[in-house]
Amino acid sequence: MEWQILEQYGPMLLRGFGLTIMCWLLGTVFSMALGLLIALAQRHGPTPLRWLLQAYIEVIRGTPFLVQLFVLYYGGPLVGLRLDAVPAGLLGLTIYGSPYFAEIFRSGFRAVPIGQIEAARAIGMPEHVIIRRVLLPVALVSALPALVNFSIILTKETVILSIITVPELMYQVQRMSTETFRYLEANLVLALFFWLLVETISRFGRKLETRITHYLIERP
Amino acid sequence: MFSIPTFLDSFGPLFWAARYTLLVSGLGIALGLVIGALICAARLSGVAFLRTFAALWVSFLRGVPLLVQLLLVYFLLPVIGIDVPALVAAVVTVGICASAYISEIWRGAIGALPRGQTEAARAIGMGPGDVWTRIVLPQAVTMSLPALINELILLVKASSLVSVVGIMEITRASQAQAATTFRPMEVYLAAACIYLMINLCLAALGRYLEHRMAV
Amino acid sequence: MVQASSVEIRGVNKFYGPFQALKDIDMSIAPGKVTCLIGPSGSGKSTLLRCINFLEEYDSGEVRIDGQLIGYEAPGRKMSARKLRAMRRSIGMVFQQFNLWPHMTAIQNVTEGLVRVRGMKKPEAEARAAEALNKVGLGDKMGNHPSRLSGGQQQRVAIARAIAMEPRLMLFDEPTSALDPELVGEVLTVMKTLAAEGMTMVVVTHEMGFAAHVADQVAFMEKGELVGMDIPDRILHQPEDPRIQGFLRSYHERNSF
Repeated sequence: MEWQILEQYGPMLLRGFGLTIMCWLLGTVFSMALGLLIALAQRHGPTPLRWLLQAYIEVIRGTPFLVQLFVLYYGGPLVGLRLDAVPAGLLGLTIYGSPYFAEIFRSGFRAVPIGQIEAARAIGMPEHVIIRRVLLPVALVSALPALVNFSIILTKETVILSIITVPELMYQVQRMSTETFRYLEANLVLALFFWLLVETISRFGRKLETRITHYLIERP
Repeated sequence: MFSIPTFLDSFGPLFWAARYTLLVSGLGIALGLVIGALICAARLSGVAFLRTFAALWVSFLRGVPLLVQLLLVYFLLPVIGIDVPALVAAVVTVGICASAYISEIWRGAIGALPRGQTEAARAIGMGPGDVWTRIVLPQAVTMSLPALINELILLVKASSLVSVVGIMEITRASQAQAATTFRPMEVYLAAACIYLMINLCLAALGRYLEHRMAV
Repeated sequence: MVQASSVEIRGVNKFYGPFQALKDIDMSIAPGKVTCLIGPSGSGKSTLLRCINFLEEYDSGEVRIDGQLIGYEAPGRKMSARKLRAMRRSIGMVFQQFNLWPHMTAIQNVTEGLVRVRGMKKPEAEARAAEALNKVGLGDKMGNHPSRLSGGQQQRVAIARAIAMEPRLMLFDEPTSALDPELVGEVLTVMKTLAAEGMTMVVVTHEMGFAAHVADQVAFMEKGELVGMDIPDRILHQPEDPRIQGFLRSYHERNSF
């Protein structure tokens, strides 16, 4: 690629990159929070709610992210949901990620030995305190690798937002490549960039994983 | 208002388009199984170069979004003088991408075999070839079946992305349908239903296999 | 001396589907007395113990702590969660698998209940926790996480966690069964001290020596039934029931060499 092109499109690409990171971070945080709520509601909620949530999980996990985005962004106005591309994309990421996170939390809960919960009940601890002080911290340790792993998967899903015209990195690169006719180079650089990004994030994630596990389990 | 007739009418053409979804994901997984086996073998081989190559292969394909891979191949092929239909390019890309995940599934399955089994086989005098074909592979392949079904479900969903390079599968067909009917909600929901039906069937198959293995 | 509770168990039944785990159990435990529950595995002794603090919900009959029914307001009508928690506060429990919270240090395990359940201020709770840990001989291990403690030490932290709440009744569910033989003694010593202080204790155990020397009464259970209950000497040395004789015979065969 020529420097001139980079100079011309640099700021645009940077903005796109910023938006990619923002979508990823917010999407991860929102979908993780929603996933946690779903997992807790499935653990403590009434049976009909549990069925409803299970159906939600199956439907979202059984359909492509792209189709979910289309329903939300193009179908939304029919039910009065008129969103700009970025909020629609964020909402889409949140919905798409939540069932996976819910399942991760659910298996994290299952990994907490029942005796540790009973020990808390035996001293008369209220259920909401047990959740906060015993269930969540212990479950988090076993769920952490899967949480990190799925957050990394979400980085890659952000490129799909370009299809509903969210001006993130993928979108900007495609715009640049059509304007300069450098399709191959642009996509090659984009691929290498993502490779680097995902590798960096996973390396960082693994470090974070050992840190947190260490912190929660034992301080030497 | 949500129009139920439009919703129901969408199913016909979308079902017809589903053959491309099944074709891309089916051939994709077949190709992925073959390349994945080779990559897995390379990863486990004693040759340092092959191991590094396989590790890079897996890391690159898992690090780059499939959508980017699709465009990359789509634009790369003409440059290196290969002229194939978009469908072939799409299947090959999906298959190559799947190979990275499948090789890891197999590596995991092989790694999960208790060490004692190969030792027992060697102890009764089996050669390495027999150990692999008689002891390791049959078990690893069986053990990995549920994970492979899961991978196939992922591919069915991922195949929606080949709409971008113009393959008339479910997603692309639903886009066309939405454009002519101006009823995106109904059409895209119908598309979602078809994906869901396919994947629920596959998930049931996966549970059946898992159940049969457990017995 | 601690203020100790009495336990009254009347006609308790417990079913798991068609399987009857407890059959019409009657038992009286006077304040400050130590009762050991012995019997083969699957005899229902742990289930009975867990009914006393309602971790296990019995289906019929009554369990009364100091005369107050636990788990139910009246037959068939469950007690509110809040009221049950209030009753559990004065009942300590020690589990076979220790069940310490792995993400907290020894002292945090002990202060947790004091702060979250008793509503103590942190410094006060820590002083109390340190006292409890000193009592079980772990004053020097307060900052360790459970993974850095031996089984015997973990179980002693678990006992400290229970006694710091100032219970009037302590339940022990096979407290030494998960321990290596050489670590059993340290836990039993702590339990003996508690007994000497006048704590009401119900102990499910396979340690016949402990039952013989510390218990005021020993109850033998089999297949969900209370077969016999008496002073240790009469159950362990002159049992009349052939089922108890058989159990003790196989116990002695296993433990002699």
